[in-house]
Order: sequence, then C-alpha cells, then structure tokens
Amino acid sequence: MTAATALVADDEPLLRERLRAHLARLWPELEVVAEARNGREAIELFETHLPRIAFLDVHMPGLNGIDAARAIARRAEIVFVTAHEHYAAQAFEHGAIDYVVKPFEEARLADSVTRLKSRLAAPQALPADFEAVLERLAGELKARGGAEPGRKYLQWIRASVASSVRLIPVEQIAFLRSDEKYTLVAWEGGEALIRISIRELAEELDPGTFAQIHRSVIVNLRQVAQVDRGFNDTAEVRLKNRREVLPVSRSFLHVFRQM
Amino acid sequence: MTSASAHAPVLRPALQAIVGALTWKRAAVAAVLALLVAALLNPVFTVPFWVLLGRMVFIAALLLITFAAAGTWHPSGVARWLAQVLAVVIAAPIATLLAYLPSIDGNLANLLSHEGRVMGFIYITATVLVIAPLLALGALYRERDAQARAAQLGFALEKSTLEKEALDTRLKLLQAQIEPHFLFNTLANVQALVESGSPQAAPVLKSLIAYLRAAMPRLHAEASTLANEIALVRSYLELMQMRMPDRLQFSIDVPADIAVREFLPMSVLTLVENAVRHGIDPGEGGGRIDISARHEADGSIRVVVADSGAGMNPSALPGTGLTNLESRLRGFFGAAGRLELHEARPHGLSAEIVFPARPSIEAPAAPPVARP
Repeated sequence: MTAATALVADDEPLLRERLRAHLARLWPELEVVAEARNGREAIELFETHLPRIAFLDVHMPGLNGIDAARAIARRAEIVFVTAHEHYAAQAFEHGAIDYVVKPFEEARLADSVTRLKSRLAAPQALPADFEAVLERLAGELKARGGAEPGRKYLQWIRASVASSVRLIPVEQIAFLRSDEKYTLVAWEGGEALIRISIRELAEELDPGTFAQIHRSVIVNLRQVAQVDRGFNDTAEVRLKNRREVLPVSRSFLHVFRQM
Repeated sequence: MTSASAHAPVLRPALQAIVGALTWKRAAVAAVLALLVAALLNPVFTVPFWVLLGRMVFIAALLLITFAAAGTWHPSGVARWLAQVLAVVIAAPIATLLAYLPSIDGNLANLLSHEGRVMGFIYITATVLVIAPLLALGALYRERDAQARAAQLGFALEKSTLEKEALDTRLKLLQAQIEPHFLFNTLANVQALVESGSPQAAPVLKSLIAYLRAAMPRLHAEASTLANEIALVRSYLELMQMRMPDRLQFSIDVPADIAVREFLPMSVLTLVENAVRHGIDPGEGGGRIDISARHEADGSIRVVVADSGAGMNPSALPGTGLTNLESRLRGFFGAAGRLELHEARPHGLSAEIVFPARPSIEAPAAPPVARP
C-alpha cells in the first residue's frame, strides 16, 4: 500500500498550520507533502507530488478551491475546507466530496479522517455526477461573487478630471452629449470629456435608466425633473441637478409617451 | 386584399385616436354652445328655433370631428395645434353650407337667390368662425395641461419608488453588515492562535471585539470623530493582516487636526472593506492599502483610501455599500459631502471622501462613546 499523502491549500497561513497540526495528531502516518496559497499553486503542486488527498479551501485568490478540484478531477480524494457551509453541504449531499467547515472542531475532522482512511484502503469509484456537482458549485460561487448572469451594462465611466482619472458611477450622470470629437459627461457638480461616442454609449448603457432623446444626447431618466412638451411634436427636458435644458427630437419623443 | 391589409394597421390607430379625442366632455361643451348660439341668433332668423338648433348642432358636431381628425394628422413643417385650428376655420363655412343643404334641396342656386338665406349663412359662418377657433385653442390648452399633470404624476410615482428603494437598501445594509464568511474565517484564525498558545491571540481578540462593537447593526449611528473611525479601521486591517500577512500591507496617515473632526461612522471602514474585498483579496499577490487625509485648497477635507489592486471593471455593479455611503455622506455633511472614485497609479482604486471643514469637536479625541 502506498503511503498516505496530502496537499493542504488555504490562502490564510494560520489556518494551514492549524489543519496540519490537527492532522498530525489525528493521523500521524499522513504525510503533508505540499502547502498551497491559492488554486493555481494547488494545481501545480498536485501535479508535482500527486498526493492521494487534497484539502482545499473554497475561497482562494485567483483560481479558487473548486477550480482546483476540477483540475485534480478524480485523481485524489477531495476535502473542501470552507467557512461557507452552504456549498460544502451541497457537495456532500451527493456523496461526491467530503467537507470540513471552518472554524472546525477536531471531532469533525476526525470523522473525515476515518472516511478518508477507509476510502484509501478500499478505493471506490466517485459518483457519476462528480463533475456536474463541481460545475454547479463553481457557478454558485461566481454568482455570489457578484458576477451576475446575463447582459452587463456599463456601470462606471472613466473620465480625466484635472490630473486624475475619475470613475463616475453611471447613476450619478445627468446626461451625455456629443461635442464634436468628444462626448461631454455631466453630473451634479462636474463634467468631463470622454472619447466614447454617443452611439457606443447608447449600446452599452442600461436602457432601463438611460435613453437617447436626440441624435447627440443621452439622458439619465432618473435625473429628469420634468418634460415640457412643445408644439410640433418636440419637447424639452429639465434636469434635477443641472441647469441645462435638453432637446428631445421628434423621433425620440416616444421615450416619454408612457410617462 | 394586400392594399387593404397594408392600410388597416395605419388606419385603425388613426380611427382610434379620433374616437379617443371625441370625449363626452367635448361633445357636451359643443352641444351647449350650439344651443347658446342658436338662442342668440334666433331673433334674426325667420326659421323655427328647432331648425336653427338642428343646424347649429350639426355644425358643432362636424367641427368637433374635424378638430379630432386634424389632431391625428402629423404634418411636417406645420405645428399640430395650427393644423387643428386651421382645419376648424376651413371646415366652418363648409359645415354651414352642408347644414343648409336640406333646406335648399341640394341646389346652391336656391341659397344664393334667397337674400335671407345668404344673410343667415353669413351670420352663422361668422359666429362659428369666431367661436370655433377659440374653442379649439381652449381644448388644446387643456390637453397640454393634462399631459403635464400626467407627466408630473409619473415622476412623483418614480420618486416615491426610488425613496422606497433607498430605504430597502438601508435596511438590507443593517441586516448584513457583518459578513458571516469574514467572521468565521477570523474566528478560525483566532482559534489557531489560541490553540498554539501564541502571544498574538490577546491583541487579535481585542481588535475583533473593537470591530464587532462598531460593526454591530444600529439604527441610529451617532456622530463620531474621524479618530474613532480610524481606530476601527485599524482594528479591521490588523485582523486582515493576521489572516493574510504575506498579502496585505497598510499605512494610515491622518493629521491630528483632521482626526478630531466630527465624522460619519462606518464610512472609511466601508471603503477599506471594499478595498480588501475587491482590490487585495482577489489577487494572488495581494497589495497595499494606504489611508490618508488632507486639507484641500478650497477649504474642504479629503480622506483617501487607496489600494493597489486590479482597479474597477467598468461593468462591475456598484455594491450597495458604496451607493449607500454616497447618500449617507450627503445626509451627514450636506450637499458638499461626497464620494469620489479615482484610478490609482500604477493600478488600483482610490476612494475619496470629500467634506466641508466644519468646526472640530473641542474635546480631545474621546474614546468610543459607550452605549447602554
């Protein structure tokens, strides 16, 4: 029988140490052959040492623990170590992957050690949906991290103001108006010129908040104070925090029809 | 067939628009005016009153339909209101002539040969020409007024929706100020220190307690000083540095005369937490967070939290924390209080709170206010 070897991956050094200390007490024969600080290192060190067990923190910088588990695939027993009980419990339900919740009790780690020992003694095939479970966990983790599915609209506009580059949150922008070569961005208390054209902006901004009201003007609907309808199917827009009065041309008047 | 089906979609909305413009109110006004004009002209007419009334009602109805129909027409170069009034003016004599048709058996000569009828025609046409355009203008004015009111109502509704959203965000923030992931990972580190008998355990626990006390959800955050806020930020950064000693460096440089100023609690902390979560933590190599404060030339004060992370992705959704902070700053410092985000050099994000230099709190930087 080959020796029991393990890889420990966690970005927090104190937690790696603690896991090693408890493993040494519970399972003296286990040899921790490598320690990784992130998912990329975990994969590299796994390839070098080919340990039979991988303890993987789920949240790690760069590639996370689930990414690492997908790369290791079925070549090692995987134990997730995580502060997010939710993900781990889900993986465990399918019997695919063991887990330990941080901060852990030694008794809980002892259960995992017992299971690992028996699996190493009599290797069992992982369930068929092992990859699918990882896939779903990876998706969930991304969604939690703020990477929302679906179309992403422009949320920030980079603009040079004085000697620095400011990031203007789009919800603060009152309007954008084409100005020869540049586009004027105006918000309460400031304005700047940017190089993105009105046409590109019209495509990248959220149409639920921004509307083109003229060939050269896009307005933030939430910053509109009132719309004055002129005769001859035109209108003028007044803003909450800016003095400018913006023209609405006939072909864009429909924007305000339902209001 | 093809032409009919091609026309139908154009014609139907036009018809609907005309019918839509023929309100009961307008019909009633037209009928009452027809009655008044008939009564007014009755003394100079020899025909019975009901004949005169019939003519007037017919003319009024025809002009009202003309007005409505002209409203659906979008001429280029001519304003819609002008088109509508002109249509009414042109239609007035025609309608009067049509009203006379039954009594002259459709023969125009019968009208011209009868002096009384010619005079009647002129009387009615003149009266209608005076009243109808005025009425049309009045109707147009009321229409604009109604549109303006509808638009105003729409905005009021939107405003209340936005206010409700703002309140919801505030409540959500209160519920989720201490992230469980942060808390449990930190506790796991403390546990490791305690188990290994590290002398670091006591100061780390002290930092954690200071952080938890400040970050506990409260409905009414009282005013505090920047010194207190910086002390909290230091506790937080020390905790994070214990957790990622090789990936996080930080510096704090706040002059004493700025530190004693009144400040919005949990504001710099929000920026520092953001810098750790989005700037430092995602990168394998970590980075620096530098906190500083300075007086600006215009008399305002600027507190800067700069990180050396990857910077902001233009399509990254602004977290509720930042959006919320912006409105809290306004609430606390007035309109001059704001949050600015700049790109840091060579990379990273610099989040800056700008606020007017209010008089500073006289007492020396007090310890955090004890709460019951």
